[in-house]
Amino acid sequence: MPSLLNVRGLTKRFAGLVALSDVSFELERGEILGLIGPNGAGKTTLINMISGTLSATDGDVTFDGCDLKRLPAYRRARLGIGRTFQIMRPFPGLSVLDNVAVGALFGTGGGDHNLPRARRVASEKLEFVGLAHRANQRAEALGGPDRKRLELAKALAMNPRMLLLDEVMAGLNLVEIEAVIAMIKKVRDQGISILVIEHVMKAIRSLSDRLLVLHHGEKIAEGAPEQVLRDPQVVEAYLGRRRA
Amino acid sequence: MVMAAAPWIASPSLIQFGISTLLLATLAQSWNIIGGYAGYASFGNSVFYGLGSYGTAIAMVQWHLPFGVGLALGAVLAVAFAVVLGLPVLRLRGHYFAICTLALAEVMIAIVSNVDIAGRNTGLVLPLLRGDALFYEMAFGLLVLTTLAVLWIARSRFGYGLMSIRENEEAAAVLGVDTTLYKVLAFALSGFFAALAGGIHAYWITFLDPVSAFDIGLNVKMIIMAVFGGPGSILGPVVGAFLLSGISEVLSTEISNLAGLFFGVVIVIAVVFMPRGLADLGRRFKQFGWHYFAENVRVHRL
Amino acid sequence: MSLLWQVVVNGILLGGLYALMALGLALVWGVLNIVNLAHGALIMLGAYVCYYLFTGLSIDPFVALPLTMLALFAFGYLLQRYLLNLVIRAPMFNTLLITFGIDVVLTYLAQIAFSADFRTINPTYAGDNFALFGAAVPVVRLLAFAVALALTIILWLFLARTRLGRAIRATAQNLIAARLYGVEPRRVYALTFGLGAALAGAAGGLYGVVSQVNPYIGTSLTAKSFAIAIIGGLESPLGVIAGGLFLGIVESLTALYIGPTYADVASFGILVLVLIVRPTGLLGRTT
Repeated sequence: MPSLLNVRGLTKRFAGLVALSDVSFELERGEILGLIGPNGAGKTTLINMISGTLSATDGDVTFDGCDLKRLPAYRRARLGIGRTFQIMRPFPGLSVLDNVAVGALFGTGGGDHNLPRARRVASEKLEFVGLAHRANQRAEALGGPDRKRLELAKALAMNPRMLLLDEVMAGLNLVEIEAVIAMIKKVRDQGISILVIEHVMKAIRSLSDRLLVLHHGEKIAEGAPEQVLRDPQVVEAYLGRRRA
Repeated sequence: MVMAAAPWIASPSLIQFGISTLLLATLAQSWNIIGGYAGYASFGNSVFYGLGSYGTAIAMVQWHLPFGVGLALGAVLAVAFAVVLGLPVLRLRGHYFAICTLALAEVMIAIVSNVDIAGRNTGLVLPLLRGDALFYEMAFGLLVLTTLAVLWIARSRFGYGLMSIRENEEAAAVLGVDTTLYKVLAFALSGFFAALAGGIHAYWITFLDPVSAFDIGLNVKMIIMAVFGGPGSILGPVVGAFLLSGISEVLSTEISNLAGLFFGVVIVIAVVFMPRGLADLGRRFKQFGWHYFAENVRVHRL
Repeated sequence: MSLLWQVVVNGILLGGLYALMALGLALVWGVLNIVNLAHGALIMLGAYVCYYLFTGLSIDPFVALPLTMLALFAFGYLLQRYLLNLVIRAPMFNTLLITFGIDVVLTYLAQIAFSADFRTINPTYAGDNFALFGAAVPVVRLLAFAVALALTIILWLFLARTRLGRAIRATAQNLIAARLYGVEPRRVYALTFGLGAALAGAAGGLYGVVSQVNPYIGTSLTAKSFAIAIIGGLESPLGVIAGGLFLGIVESLTALYIGPTYADVASFGILVLVLIVRPTGLLGRTT
């Protein structure tokens, strides 16, 4: 079966700076692909280019046979691409429930046009991530870990076929990390393919079916986690960085 | 109900005040759509008001068409303007959008002053229709219509989309909201109601000239009223309009300068102590009491 | 041909004053991220201060300028320190609104205090001209231009070379980092706003000499200053000078070739175009 996401030769150049250089890989259906690399390697840039937040200087991105090249972010979202942001972007003045409802109203296929039904879906997603007790609070009142949960719930409410997660575990303690890992696995079991950026090594090791390593905007390794993490290039890239 | 019956029982000057205030409330409510719900603070809605006025006037004076057609023409002009100029201008954020719309408003005055069909600088005189009561009912009906529109927006998928744009436009886009389309729709809707208000106003006062039709001061008034009452709420702008108009009217009879000064002071105090308007104050006063005001300052000060 | 030259000269002289007008606004906007809708009112106040120093104490307006600037500086400092600092972390729209409210208050207070009559500052040399390659150059306009240019350069040097100037720029870039270096934001903010007000005051004094003043000139001057600041680009004082000169010349030419009533259309029309096409201004950097 053809892969869900096909990235070929993706390149991003800012004035004088090459953020991403000729990156190619595939994401299979039902797979969890971990994306790692030192800070500044270009991981978030890559996700931005897949979700449409940033335009590509060069290269192709194909999602389920669809060429994403000229599609604006909202059209890609409606194709079924969901993402979370590393620097979280809640809707601060709206309630937690309404935050998630937006995802249900506008997600894959244009979302649900029925507001009460969308809010019910939102409720379910809040249950799933463990935020149901805060449904009526304003999003701005939420603390760090809860905001991460909200990000995830919003993306899930879209009913995506592929989820791009950008450091959902930063700043969480060990217990919370375990909970998130379990959540992500459950999401995959529902049939959603996932691309995860993470710095917490233990988590990414247990989550990922495969790993992809970026360094200075280039892909330097790809394959099974145990293999990749022993690759001398990868180790060198991380020399001096923390290992969990 | 009481309000609808007012023209039959109130004094003429009160009715006149009523008509003015109803139209202002409609403007504030129309601004609410683009400024309160979509979060794009337009300082140029006076353009729509003016287009509505001139559309109606030109249709009636130059082409001798009935009022209804004139109103429709004004509305069409406004919506066309909103769509054509909205597309490039709505790409701007925050301050820049505000300034650009203000600049557009200024430009429109000058352009209309030089167009023959609009009577250039001297303006147009419309046919007279006696009976303020009729205008009152029209203005009242328009306000109800606009408020119902806002009510619908608040509880619809469209409204959720607008609010998501207001709260975080990038996040809205990746969730699947077509931000450009929605912004332009909000702008057009806002313009539509403002134009209708302008049309009614033109017919009522029977005289129109560029500077007063596109009165920049209107922008300020409608924004203050909407913000004071509560942007993004359903009744906030209406309450704000009536409250501020009423107090201003009372003060005007005393000393006219004082009314203006009063507005300014109210704005300053309101922005510091209740930046989210009366609607928010009403909702949270029960919870916080007087701390509400102190809290607003604490959160926003340097 | 000589008419064209005259118009260009007029435009340049006007442009210098325009640049000074916009300078204070651009400074406050760039550093404090405050869009000051009361800027025109500050210019208006500066004009009145200068006017009363002239008529009351017989101080030549150009000599009175430093005093005017000092007065406006103090006013601006207090305004920022005790009022604007209260809303500075609120959404930007709030500062827009509050400065608008301040503008209204100042305008009405001015009307109560000074009446709505037009006033001009008329030193004895007000009518003198001298010839520059066939164009008549009013002495006062030339002096105003020179002062405007001088103040702009002084500001630029101040920001670039002095410790306080650098502190201001640092605060603009990164409030938290600046704090770590011992910069006290409340005072720096107030100082910056005071500086902006002082510049507005100077512009007002000069404006009072070359044109007429009444309490209501504030609004259109604010709008004009915005146009200049945005068209020129907020990045540096140089951009503001460019914007001022550009607009001055454009308005002069428009008044001559199309009609005097179109001068404003030209300015604001260009503003709209710049905002749509190149929001960073003619001289600004594109990211």
